[in-house]
Amino acid sequence: MYNIKARGVLIEGNKSYHDITRDITNPLLAKKTPAWWWITAFLASAMLAWGVWGFYNTIAFGLGTWGLNNSVSWGWAIINFVWWIGIGHAGTAFSIFLLVLRQKWRTSINRAAEAMTIFAVMAAGMFPLIHMGRIWDGFFVFPYPNTRGPLWTNFNSPLFWDVTAISTYLTASFLFWYVGMMPDFATIRERTSSKIKKAIYNVLSFGWVGSARGWLRFEAAALLMGGLTAPLVISVHSIVATDFAAGVVPGWHSTIFPPFFVVGAIFSGFAMVLTLMIIVRKVYKYEEYVTKKHLDAITRVLTFVSLIMGVAYISEIFVAWYSDSPYEMFVFFKNRTAGEYAYSYWAMILFNAIVPQLFWFKKIRSNVVIVFIISILINIGMWYERFVIVVTSLSKTWLPATWRGYSPTATEIAIYVGTIGFFVLGILIFLRFLPIMAISELKGINKETSVVTENTEDHE
Amino acid sequence: MNNQNQILGVFDDPDVVTDAVKELVKQDVKIKDVFSPFPLEHVWDLLKLKTRMPYATFIYGALGTSSVFAFLYWTSVIDYPLTFGGKPHNSLSFVVIMFVLTILFGVVLTLATLLIREKMWPGKNNPLPDHRSMDDKFVIVIEQGHNMDEKEMQKIDELLKQNGAVEVNRSNV
Repeated sequence: MYNIKARGVLIEGNKSYHDITRDITNPLLAKKTPAWWWITAFLASAMLAWGVWGFYNTIAFGLGTWGLNNSVSWGWAIINFVWWIGIGHAGTAFSIFLLVLRQKWRTSINRAAEAMTIFAVMAAGMFPLIHMGRIWDGFFVFPYPNTRGPLWTNFNSPLFWDVTAISTYLTASFLFWYVGMMPDFATIRERTSSKIKKAIYNVLSFGWVGSARGWLRFEAAALLMGGLTAPLVISVHSIVATDFAAGVVPGWHSTIFPPFFVVGAIFSGFAMVLTLMIIVRKVYKYEEYVTKKHLDAITRVLTFVSLIMGVAYISEIFVAWYSDSPYEMFVFFKNRTAGEYAYSYWAMILFNAIVPQLFWFKKIRSNVVIVFIISILINIGMWYERFVIVVTSLSKTWLPATWRGYSPTATEIAIYVGTIGFFVLGILIFLRFLPIMAISELKGINKETSVVTENTEDHE
Repeated sequence: MNNQNQILGVFDDPDVVTDAVKELVKQDVKIKDVFSPFPLEHVWDLLKLKTRMPYATFIYGALGTSSVFAFLYWTSVIDYPLTFGGKPHNSLSFVVIMFVLTILFGVVLTLATLLIREKMWPGKNNPLPDHRSMDDKFVIVIEQGHNMDEKEMQKIDELLKQNGAVEVNRSNV
């Protein structure tokens, strides 16, 4: 079968199956919640509380509390929406692409990446909701028989595609994530001695027992669900890109946008996985599961994707010049590279296209601290990319009379910080109560890819 | 479930249990089930287990594509045709929504199929023959047939032990 030795040992420390069960379930069965958890949860709650204030402000006083104007009608809300959706691609890109490609090294990371996806997409979803202004009329976006005509939604609008694609993405990712956890919930159910926990995890496990037929169906269903969800990764961000590309604003109206956005999303998603896993492996002492080789593999992917990003930036500039359109030329040669927001453009180039190239050096790839810093820089760079696209293009379009600047107000910042708090809180709940790594999958790869040597005859 | 005895052969290695299943199948011993902490692909082949899940998923997908198209056609062409930009009512860009919702249909209904076929629901009380099979043991379950006497049972016990079972137990779960 797929006996991939190229990656070497995936689980270090010569673990037995029982060791794996113990290592992964002990933190979540522990009676005492660690202090760092409470401290982080407190900080995240404070951030979320500020976000709730931002929400309240927007709903009670309207969008006038934001820094938007007639020219820059999309501000931080859409920037942060796209940013979160990009991070939300981590789970599926990681888990499902690598599942379909039979990359076994995904095993110790995929669960956490999927959890990130869920919370990041939920965080992203808050921005369109609040940007509606009249959030209580939010149900208008769904096509249902109504008394307004009956007027259906516009099925040709990228904005409606967005609604469909993102709610589908959230549903499919959640179900895939949950299905993967059912066997692990059963493992926890059998391991815990607390009656309450046993009852809760039994409900969550749907009565899973792990019979041969059960596993066969489970594997078939997981692979089918994963295979179906994989194209969604491409479509979701392509559709988000058409929100821009279908408009005629200079700098947006470009066919490069869909692939460019997809690659950017995978880029920021992988960077966020790296950030999170470096923290988790340190705090939970999971260095034997998320080995340096895992981190190395992710950094290699990032190096490659960063090259694609660089090519995309260059080709955008080239196409602007080649199009000979004065407006496109203005956007790239005057506005973005030299205008008042030039710092964001150069930050984007530096963090996305240049800094990750340091990963070519083995010394840097193997230095966890530097890898961690670069992973954060990439996410900042990706935020700037969305800022560049939204703000520079909108602030200076065709008529100089319509040129306006843009800076966010406290309300907008509060909402953004609030979503970060929400995301961190979600991850903390995941870390405390759910199996962080796919226990059954780890056991499945333990023998073929670790150093246990007895009984290695081939069964083909 | 039943009052008949079951023989549980407990193993602690996936390859040994696979070999044992192979040997038992060769000796015409009827295996009721194999419980394991992770999927054992070779055991499925040996027990000749098959699933038709992919066909079901294909049907769900086809159902999704066609019903979404029917809905879009009905709303945009029959119920409330709205002309904008001189474009046809039956638009090519329906593909996007059809594509996305086909996936949704496929994923949700595949999961539903898994749960229905495995008879799983939240809070189902499903006793395990040996709860260690959720941790690090692999358990072969052999049911006592109607005309199986104690002697034959012991023979199976022996067979399991010869093939590397670390324990052989009886259970009626």
